[in-house]
Amino acid sequence: MNDMSSLGGVGSSEGLCLEASGLRFSYRGREVVAGVDLSLRPGEVVALLGANGAGKSTLLKLLLGLLRPAAGSVFLGGKPLAAWPRKALARELAYVPQVHVTPFPYTVAQMAGLGRLAHRGLLGGLGEEDRDVVTATLEKLGIVHLANRAYTEISGGERQLALIARALVQGARLLVMDEPVSGLDYGHQMRLLARLQALAEEGYGILKTTHYPEHALGSAHRVVVLQEGKILAKGLAAEIVTPAMMRRLYGLEVEMVRTPTGHGFFHPLGRRG
Amino acid sequence: MIKVREWGGERIRQGLLAGGLIALLLTAMVLALSLGRYPLPPGEVLRYFLSLLGVDLLDGERLALMHNLVVDIRLPRVLAAVLVGASLSVSGAAYQAVFRNPLVSPALLGVLAGAACGAALGLIFSLPWWQVQVLAFVGGLLAVVVGVGVAGLFGGGGVVMLVLGGIISGGLFTSVLSLIKYMADPLNQLPAIVYWLMGSLGMATLTDMAWVALPMGAGVVLLASLGRALDALSMGDDEARALGVSVTAVRYGVIATATLISALTVSVAGMIGWVGLIVPHIARLLVGPCNSRLLPISALLGGVFLLLADGVSRNAATTEIPIGIITELLGIPLFLLVLHRVRKGWA
Repeated sequence: MNDMSSLGGVGSSEGLCLEASGLRFSYRGREVVAGVDLSLRPGEVVALLGANGAGKSTLLKLLLGLLRPAAGSVFLGGKPLAAWPRKALARELAYVPQVHVTPFPYTVAQMAGLGRLAHRGLLGGLGEEDRDVVTATLEKLGIVHLANRAYTEISGGERQLALIARALVQGARLLVMDEPVSGLDYGHQMRLLARLQALAEEGYGILKTTHYPEHALGSAHRVVVLQEGKILAKGLAAEIVTPAMMRRLYGLEVEMVRTPTGHGFFHPLGRRG
Repeated sequence: MIKVREWGGERIRQGLLAGGLIALLLTAMVLALSLGRYPLPPGEVLRYFLSLLGVDLLDGERLALMHNLVVDIRLPRVLAAVLVGASLSVSGAAYQAVFRNPLVSPALLGVLAGAACGAALGLIFSLPWWQVQVLAFVGGLLAVVVGVGVAGLFGGGGVVMLVLGGIISGGLFTSVLSLIKYMADPLNQLPAIVYWLMGSLGMATLTDMAWVALPMGAGVVLLASLGRALDALSMGDDEARALGVSVTAVRYGVIATATLISALTVSVAGMIGWVGLIVPHIARLLVGPCNSRLLPISALLGGVFLLLADGVSRNAATTEIPIGIITELLGIPLFLLVLHRVRKGWA
């Protein structure tokens, strides 16, 4: 499916970067995001790691321009997010939410078709070209057989792919994902991680929050660790995701076990207390 | 390659369905024009319209009689049925998308009660007709604000809270309405308010309809054409924004339009419940959840449904039964049927 660019899906933009600096955001008097610098480039997977309540979801919303920061700013292609018209922004930057249930049973094709709103006026319908983009994207993600099934009746893993399809249909090259593997079984988790890596190789930039340090280790180029709204550490996954970091982040004693192929896994050390 | 049904035969099926419904609506309109205390054969009505187009089929005296019966007496009522049915159904479907809740309707959100309150207030003070309309709209809008506000007070737009907010808002405005009725002059104003609230399309005159047809028709068309934006809105604010939709503008535009046309139905025909809830569900069973199809189909179905209900209301008994009672009697069994089909998605 490498004819996507000719369909206007991907490749028309020249790889804009998302840059955030000095982001601050308070919610009910508590500073949830307290001075965060972050960047996302096309072609990389960045994992955002942090305990519950570390401010990950708020940070995602700031990066997507869904919340306005109290201080600091987010730039896309050197231009502040606030200066981007909504539709133009949607063609560059997409949000892949956590798998959810919609109140109405849209089919997978209809769900993905919503991505074309960024390319059409509010009043128009889908044209021939839009339908081609949707079909090609569903094929690319291997879910074209689900096109006519209701989004509310497919599995969590399939729903996640449908939401990713919608983001790709938008034509965006930068994807911001909120816990893409949450709620998926082990098999779907692994296949989804591989899928994200393949997308990055194609030139997509992916920022995802995750609760799995090993996923960050195995499938992210860079890792950003968030604690109480501040960046605790960031850098290459192999340098950041270490037993020492697990101790600081989760208060857990773990050792790293390496497979002969070089993959690292954490193993909890003897129980305490 | 697997066919995506969405863009294949499905579109043809949907086109045929829309065409069929338009034909059904036109047929129902002609039948409604021929029904009444002085029944006319439907062919006669068609022949009358042909005469208007210059094909001379009827003699002058017959033409005058037909004009009086069809245009002066029955046409306002038929137009009112179609417009009121379409407005209630489209605004019901639009509210359901905006509030992400398949159970809301103009009646449930308290819009009808609020509009009735405003209009009753206008009747009490014997205000001119257009001021009664404005009061109805303000009352309806106030009811939405109260309903959504109460929901927001207790944690936002969840399905249950919104329904609760609507019940509370409806309750509030119903009690205010009772107060207004209590204060009304029991000889003239009270019966007027009561009869009008039970719902009747018989009060519409051609002049009234000429005034409200434009805003109602425009509102229906506007909402029906915003289907895709409504699809995005039904995903929630964050997702809709990230999809490139100006959420705030679309949401408030849609709420204002839907409230305006629902409030106008109250001033044209009183409180007609269930249509705004039941018709979108029937339409959803026919064409699926996509609002770009659901809204136009709801409008057509709503027109047909209300013509049918009005036919029953005029012809079931020797005296006219208020249409609000008929829609409730028809709506409840229909809703049970629909509920049986769709409840899966709500669990």
